[in-house]
Amino acid sequence: MLDFLQAVSDGMLFGATYALIGIGFTLVFGVMHKLNLSYAAASIGAAYSGLLILKVFAAAPAWAVFLSAFVGGGVIGYLVYLTCFHFIPLSNPLAPLMSTVGMFLLIDEVIVHATNGMPQNYPAMFDDVMIRAGGYTLRGDLLLVFGLSVLCMIGLLALLYRTKLGLATRAVSQQPVAAQLCGIRVARVNAMTFVVTGLVGGIAGAMMGAAVGALSPVLTAPLTVKGLIVTVIGGLGSIPGAIIAGLLVGGLENVFQLYRGVTERDLYVMLLLFVFLVFRPGGIFTAKSGRD
Amino acid sequence: MEFYYGLAQIVGVHTLLGLSAYIVLLTGQVTMAQAAFFGIGAYVAGMLTVLAGWHIVPALGASAVMGSATACAVGFPALRVKGLMLVVATLAFGEGVRLFFFNFDYQIARGDLKLGPVGSEGFRQIRYFPEHGWTTGEVMLFIWVFVVLVMAVLWWFDRSRYGSVLRAVGEDELAAQSVGINLTAVKVSAMTIGGAIAGLGGGIFAHYTTHIEHSNFNVLVATFAIAYPIVGGLSNVFGTLAAVIFVQAFLIEGLRDLGDWRNLLFGALIVLAMNLRPHGLFGKRRGSSHA
Repeated sequence: MLDFLQAVSDGMLFGATYALIGIGFTLVFGVMHKLNLSYAAASIGAAYSGLLILKVFAAAPAWAVFLSAFVGGGVIGYLVYLTCFHFIPLSNPLAPLMSTVGMFLLIDEVIVHATNGMPQNYPAMFDDVMIRAGGYTLRGDLLLVFGLSVLCMIGLLALLYRTKLGLATRAVSQQPVAAQLCGIRVARVNAMTFVVTGLVGGIAGAMMGAAVGALSPVLTAPLTVKGLIVTVIGGLGSIPGAIIAGLLVGGLENVFQLYRGVTERDLYVMLLLFVFLVFRPGGIFTAKSGRD
Repeated sequence: MEFYYGLAQIVGVHTLLGLSAYIVLLTGQVTMAQAAFFGIGAYVAGMLTVLAGWHIVPALGASAVMGSATACAVGFPALRVKGLMLVVATLAFGEGVRLFFFNFDYQIARGDLKLGPVGSEGFRQIRYFPEHGWTTGEVMLFIWVFVVLVMAVLWWFDRSRYGSVLRAVGEDELAAQSVGINLTAVKVSAMTIGGAIAGLGGGIFAHYTTHIEHSNFNVLVATFAIAYPIVGGLSNVFGTLAAVIFVQAFLIEGLRDLGDWRNLLFGALIVLAMNLRPHGLFGKRRGSSHA
């Protein structure tokens, strides 16, 4: 029983990063009705870009690495928007999907090229802190991962519901034509969505690196699949859904790992998705039927 | 000459993979599960020829049937969800199948040799062609007979009523439904045919490489499957063939001298191609298909 609780809590703390990736997919989907398949790769790429600061200041502390991953995420997000969406007509459903796939491969290869395919160590904070209660432990670094992710979510929700940019973003996601008629520059809102999701992705990637202790380009494909599963289970376009689904997937994944081993773990996560697709295809929070 | 025969084999198998996604894409659905059907076909055909001692042609038939049966079974629940959700569902299904093969052990002792798939090590010694003394040229001809056959069938579909129905669903679901087309039947039938083609391609793939493992059927392969028809354009089957030749012969073999820069160029070229020719390199410009 203790093992079970431990697995659930560790998994849920780590699942916060899945929730962030899910939010990124969901936001872009909500605003543009497009899937940005390069998002998880871009997030890992942003986490790598955080390591660049160690090249300049070899003694840079972990928070500086996280911060530069955050900034790097925003820059990469904007580049992804420019290269994969800006010049492609929105009416074409296949071309932007394919261009983000190309971007995914490109980011993967840039990482492999820059690091010679070797996994890179990633700094963590509070990794020596252990909070104990009986036989039950909470790892300090995982708590930080969870805390930072929650901060990120709060910041994002504040941005969406308390600022003009957020209002414009929600307007475009509901009715792009009406929003444009009200004088909102749709292209700019779309670009900002990519920058914001990029920033979030940067944090998610850095937190993943900090929790695992290392980064490797092999992480990108499974993270893409997990992020998409979280998005679907939460309900496409729903941010609270993505948060809950992220924690759910993280927790369950760790439980599956405890009982069935690491090689079979992901198989059960896929099954979980199919259970949702069959019994609740709209996800936990079915988005109100919007445009189209 | 052997090299070019080998290249032609690769192009043939990848054309089958691309065509399996082509017919599904005609209905406007994006499927990321083609690598899974490809893998199922590969394992089925390999196990039938190696473990059960079948002749290769019925084994390929069986892999096509298995591929189409799985595709049909996946199609029903997956097509309840629309458009982008299908991408996710099929992506997860594909990863699920890959993980299944990653954990799949089934070995039979044959003499002093143990044959059959072993989890992460994969399935070795699918030696039907060398055991029966087929030369590389003969194998290539064998593969291309199937490729030409599949292309001919799809070409004929395009000219028949069925092809128009597929494209009608792809262009505008609502309009297609309002003239009495059963959307689910059309989509599931396209998935089923696509699954059969992918299964066939997988069966051939298993036999010319002689060694298959779970990583042969990962997300990257699924991506390639939809990349060929999208990059080539959906106007006809030759777009897919041209894209396969462009990617496999030019980008992968032709640019081999560039070393690992080639891989960087590959992603960048896809992005560039989609920016310049959103309807595919050889596709004709249509009006906006989705409002």
